[in-house]
Amino acid sequence: MKRYIYLLFLLICISARAQTNVYQKVPDIDSTYSAKLTGDFFYESKQYIGEQYFNIDWWDGDILLSTGQKVYGKLLRYSGLFDELIWLNNSNYGKFKLDKLSVDEFWIKDKSEKDFHFKRINLSDTTSTHRLGIYVEVMVTGKLSLYIQRKISVVGYEDEYKNKILSRYYDLKSTPIYYIKLPSNIYLTLNKQSRNALLKLFPKNKNELSKIIRDNRLNVRAEDDFVKIIELMNKVAIF
Amino acid sequence: MRLIKRMFFIFLIFQLVLTNCNIQAQTNGTEIAYLHTDRTAYIAGESIHFKLYVLDAVSKKRSEVSKVGYVVLRTVNSEPSLKIRVKVDAGKGSGSVVLPDTLQSGIYQILAYTSAMKNQGEDRFFRKQITIVNRFDKALDFKIIGSTIKDSSLTQVSGGTAKISVDKSVYRSREKVIVRLGKLDLKANVSVSVFEIPKIPSTYKTIGESITDLSVNKNDKKARTYYSPETKGKILRGVVVDSKTQQPIKDAIVLLSCVDTIPNLQYAVTNADGLFQLLLSDYYNGKELYLTIKDTPDRSKWQIKVENEFAQPERWNPSLIADNSNYKDYIVKSQNIVYINKSYQIDKENTYKPKIESESICPRFYNCPVETILPSDFMPLPDFLEIAVEIIPRVRIVKENNNYKVQIVNELTNEFNKNSPAIFLDGVFVDDVNKIIQLGTEQIKKIEIIEAERAFGDLVFSGVISITTFKNEIESSMPASHSVRVINDNENSGANFIPLNPDTHQSNSTPFVKQLLYWNPNLELSGTNDTSFEFYTSDNLAKYIIKVEGISEDGTPISATSSFQVTNPINNTDK
Repeated sequence: MKRYIYLLFLLICISARAQTNVYQKVPDIDSTYSAKLTGDFFYESKQYIGEQYFNIDWWDGDILLSTGQKVYGKLLRYSGLFDELIWLNNSNYGKFKLDKLSVDEFWIKDKSEKDFHFKRINLSDTTSTHRLGIYVEVMVTGKLSLYIQRKISVVGYEDEYKNKILSRYYDLKSTPIYYIKLPSNIYLTLNKQSRNALLKLFPKNKNELSKIIRDNRLNVRAEDDFVKIIELMNKVAIF
Repeated sequence: MRLIKRMFFIFLIFQLVLTNCNIQAQTNGTEIAYLHTDRTAYIAGESIHFKLYVLDAVSKKRSEVSKVGYVVLRTVNSEPSLKIRVKVDAGKGSGSVVLPDTLQSGIYQILAYTSAMKNQGEDRFFRKQITIVNRFDKALDFKIIGSTIKDSSLTQVSGGTAKISVDKSVYRSREKVIVRLGKLDLKANVSVSVFEIPKIPSTYKTIGESITDLSVNKNDKKARTYYSPETKGKILRGVVVDSKTQQPIKDAIVLLSCVDTIPNLQYAVTNADGLFQLLLSDYYNGKELYLTIKDTPDRSKWQIKVENEFAQPERWNPSLIADNSNYKDYIVKSQNIVYINKSYQIDKENTYKPKIESESICPRFYNCPVETILPSDFMPLPDFLEIAVEIIPRVRIVKENNNYKVQIVNELTNEFNKNSPAIFLDGVFVDDVNKIIQLGTEQIKKIEIIEAERAFGDLVFSGVISITTFKNEIESSMPASHSVRVINDNENSGANFIPLNPDTHQSNSTPFVKQLLYWNPNLELSGTNDTSFEFYTSDNLAKYIIKVEGISEDGTPISATSSFQVTNPINNTDK
């Protein structure tokens, strides 16, 4: 009995020594390889009725930078109102809108681990709002790709007097814009989800497209169905 | 009692697993190196071609871990003569370097290693000796190595695991030689050299001998600190210490940038040992690196010490003998051959430098629209104080305790921010405002301003002022005591050796004398067929050796040697 206890004690000592040999060597050095996120401090000076963000809470996300480097596990929010990706820096709790030109793509994950994939696309128009490109949610990729800009627009405002102080609240509304990317890299824009508007985008293949919608009993106004339509169009050779 | 027995056995199994894990943890990532050089004796002014093999110490397969290798050539006084950084890809890297004409005649040691190998101690480094003779040395009274070990491979006609066959054993000058490497049933990557057998003795070891030697005979001397394997590129290491006490400083932020038209930055935080490390991408190749410490009240007392990756703490003390009288004729002939080749510029025809396209991504400090001011659009102003007042009213310079301080208007509050913005001069993060104060509109080409608070990783700056000058004024400014500048040498890409065909490149009247007939650092053996290569003999009538060194995909070392004679039917004496 004693013999076993001594042996056990001896082995515990050896075990402890062996483990320190392995771990003692690794120093606590700042991550050598991690890419650095860059951005301006994000101020929220106005008050809104409604939500400016695609994701109300901060979600974990990964970012593919324009340098090709990937940054993992950052707390992110996408503002549809400003079309900016906002990063909550854990170390100083500052909110920063990331330099748009530095971000190529990002993925954010909701609580149920569902991924939402966004990328920055450059449209042919160079208006000041689109100069740096826009962030769009990637819904379908293929011969025809479907991207949705999760745009939030100010549609009005309400003034409220409290203690003789005027406060202005801006009304926000979700106004998504749909972009269909053709194999020729041309983007077709759909501001309104309607059957007619979609058919107008493909005048030469109007009949085939109508058949797809009719045969599969799809409602263009429903976003899930709209995604299905593009997926089905990708399976048909003529598109 | 039974329960205790059972517990004991479970614990025993647990221990065995732990011990195994421990061994694996210690061996995983450990490497050994082998350097195959085209020859063992050189004349200063010639190129030394080399192939570096980096192998996993356990499996002996080519290592996928390290991407950077280091080669140091040092004198008998342990002074480094050449420092070469080699790009390693899938355990192999090659290059070449011209031996400077200023090298003194004597024995030199070549060391080859990776950063990860430093963890096992310097005994693990690959070492070999070569002889270098100065081209203009007439006395030739240098000492050679006194080792009794001779180059065994020079005496064997064929050996190792690969079989070499040449179509003839005797060739005439300027004749084509076809060499066949018999199939090995192994896919392998080898390096091949064909050169005149030097009369100077050497201590050449084949790759197999070297691996056995490095694996068996060495007692690992643990490094004092851990060296991260350079899996993605060169890592710049250094420490921040108190300049008086030399005590390490923890949590100091070390900033790195270099001269560019784009403001660039990288940073690292020191650990408890004051150690920091920064990954240097291809962007930093051949550039001067500006390192400084981010502003803290104590930084004037701190000092950055950058580690020299080529430093060798252990001295080399070879036993040398003075007797080289037997080799003088050979050396004089070699000197003459180099003289002829230099005179006729045959060396230049023999090599070509491949263009290397590297990804050069600038670590931009910002990538967003900025306010740009061109001082040339305004009246001439003598210094930045005037420029701030006259051209950029949203920037002000105040004097506090005889020190200048730059402040920028906060875009939200519309008031001057108390904290200083990040200031860049010619792309470099400036640690001292005085460096920009003296600059007037004649020196400044462009000023870029960002008023918003900026994040760069975990660092936050109260705006940015970036100044680009016409003549890179940053280069002539003095670094502060807590700053340091280091040159980051280019990676050696080397020049490839082209075996010349004397019939197409030379006329019969032009001398064509060579001691190195062929060098190929990357010959792939398919494992299913014979591999052949060809080259031409020269007017240098001598005995030549073909040396093949390499490693198969499964980690089998491959070495082979063969020889042939080049002679003239009329006059077969060495000239």
